[in-house]
Amino acid sequence: MPRRNAHLQPSLLIFAAAALVLSTVFFVVPMGFIASYVGNTEKGALAGLIGVATSRLVRVVFTNTVEISVCAAALTVALAYPVALHISRQKARGKIICLALVLMPFWTSILVKSYAFLIILGDHGLVNTILHALTGGSGLNMMFNRFAVLVGMTNFLVPYAVFPILASLAAQNPQVQRAAEIMGASPLRTFWSITFIQSMPGILAGLLMCLVISMGFFVTPSLLGGRKDMMMANVIDMYTREILDWQSASIISLLLLIFSGTLSAIILKIQSRTGA
Amino acid sequence: MASKPQHTSAVSRRSVLKALSATAVAGIGSLPWIKRAQAADPLIMVSYGGSYADALKEVIASPFTKASGVPVQILDTPDLAKVKAQITSGNVNWDIFDASGPLIMAGSAAGYWEPIDTAIVDTSKVVGGVGKDRVPNYIFCGGVAWNRQQHPKAQPRNFKELWDVEKFPGSRALRNRVSETLEIALLADGVAPAKLYPLDVERGFKSLDRIKPHVRKWFEQTPQMVTLLQSKEIDWIYAYPNRIRVAQESGIPVDFSFDQTLNLFNYMAVLKGSRKRKQAMEYINFALSPRIQANLADKLGLAPVVKGADKLMNEASRRWLPDVNNPNNVFVDDEYWGKHYADLDRRFKEWILI
Repeated sequence: MPRRNAHLQPSLLIFAAAALVLSTVFFVVPMGFIASYVGNTEKGALAGLIGVATSRLVRVVFTNTVEISVCAAALTVALAYPVALHISRQKARGKIICLALVLMPFWTSILVKSYAFLIILGDHGLVNTILHALTGGSGLNMMFNRFAVLVGMTNFLVPYAVFPILASLAAQNPQVQRAAEIMGASPLRTFWSITFIQSMPGILAGLLMCLVISMGFFVTPSLLGGRKDMMMANVIDMYTREILDWQSASIISLLLLIFSGTLSAIILKIQSRTGA
Repeated sequence: MASKPQHTSAVSRRSVLKALSATAVAGIGSLPWIKRAQAADPLIMVSYGGSYADALKEVIASPFTKASGVPVQILDTPDLAKVKAQITSGNVNWDIFDASGPLIMAGSAAGYWEPIDTAIVDTSKVVGGVGKDRVPNYIFCGGVAWNRQQHPKAQPRNFKELWDVEKFPGSRALRNRVSETLEIALLADGVAPAKLYPLDVERGFKSLDRIKPHVRKWFEQTPQMVTLLQSKEIDWIYAYPNRIRVAQESGIPVDFSFDQTLNLFNYMAVLKGSRKRKQAMEYINFALSPRIQANLADKLGLAPVVKGADKLMNEASRRWLPDVNNPNNVFVDDEYWGKHYADLDRRFKEWILI
């Protein structure tokens, strides 16, 4: 399959050049600076690495970060899929309105949104007030815990998953669906065997995007989470700005980068197998 | 902009374009490097933003500019990482760093501040907290706060009572950093205020163990002191009265006890290698004059650091001053935290997680 487009490759390279230069200047070079801090102290690189490797704080927070990110990404994709499916079935005008609605939370500050969740999910919030009026019970504990963090993160991430899924739905040939219908497949069967399978690349792309973004979450866990919901970015912040231990900060940053990179590689590998 | 309704479509398109280009020009004009080139090389001070920065500008910076002719630009967020980057790269853009104890002390330990030039800065009337490379600019304090609507009758009024979960049931919120929190844990455990330092770290963490199940939120951001009470998510919180005062003034039913407070200095320091070292020292000296100190305290609900300034304050503001003579109250020892903050904060953050 890669050979088939071989004659296109030189021109593709020109198109990719701008992005390549951009990412070299704004990503690779700064990453090099960050990496240089690993060995750039009187402590020495090895002592720093051992310090980070044996730190209970780093270990617990790293596990947290992976758990929260995986959950948030999976939840986001599950929520975004029906939205994307609905949008893909709209007429032109409906599509524009729906896309604008999806993008709306994008334009709201994450701090404002976090505070809004306090008003919705809190003990004296909207949901619990309604529940109390209906059942008379003491309500649900939905604030300052993992649940609140996942709600906050999912709310932020949904647009990132809607767009790739929508793209893979829009790229499908409607004739194939029609053919399945003519052959007598039930709507559910058509969806499962044709639409869903063909949208797999979009799902994986959305999943990947959300995972990588989640790894760096910072404000949401700190405002909505409980004491056990600290994430990697909070620890990096502590090392860079409070303790000024840039060596540990850069080791942890690189650790996070390597982890996200490996995860991305695995997902991309699966994506290429599904025939993107 | 003159618009002619009779040629609606053409004019509107043109006016939209005009508006767009105006926005673009305004956008470019507000880019920091262009702005800086226009102004006459101001003294740059970094400080906490929002209403605090507005007050600094009104009470200190503008009168200083009027008196000395030196323009002052106030930037947001005293970020020590940026200080480190400026000093290690030799490209120092900031002149004055205005921040709380832990940041100033960490910067001091790293050698990021110029020595205070006592030929310019008169520190003789300052009540305390003066160091070789730092001068306090005000005193703030922390204590117990609550929502009046939720708890109109009995409230914990000191740290021992804040820890008393039988007499005062309900959720607590404390800061998610070790300084201040370890002090109130020890005071709650019965350590005499006069004998607080050096901190008995083990005893402090044991005391924190006791309150841990009752702490619903270990908060990071200072404004959360008000939002957590306002939304009634938290019953009792460790808060700063200047925040409570502003909230009260905007009609939020929150209250604060001055029976026991932890008093803290906020400091000013001059960045090592600042190109405006002399003007920065002059600014610091100006900020320490009693009249300016009283104005700042009136405006922000903070306590002045020079003797005699409190007498110049208005009556309403004086009610919000921490009592520095009350034997229950303690001044946070920033020298102690300068030595121990990194290790203890790491331990504290691990302790919170587990």
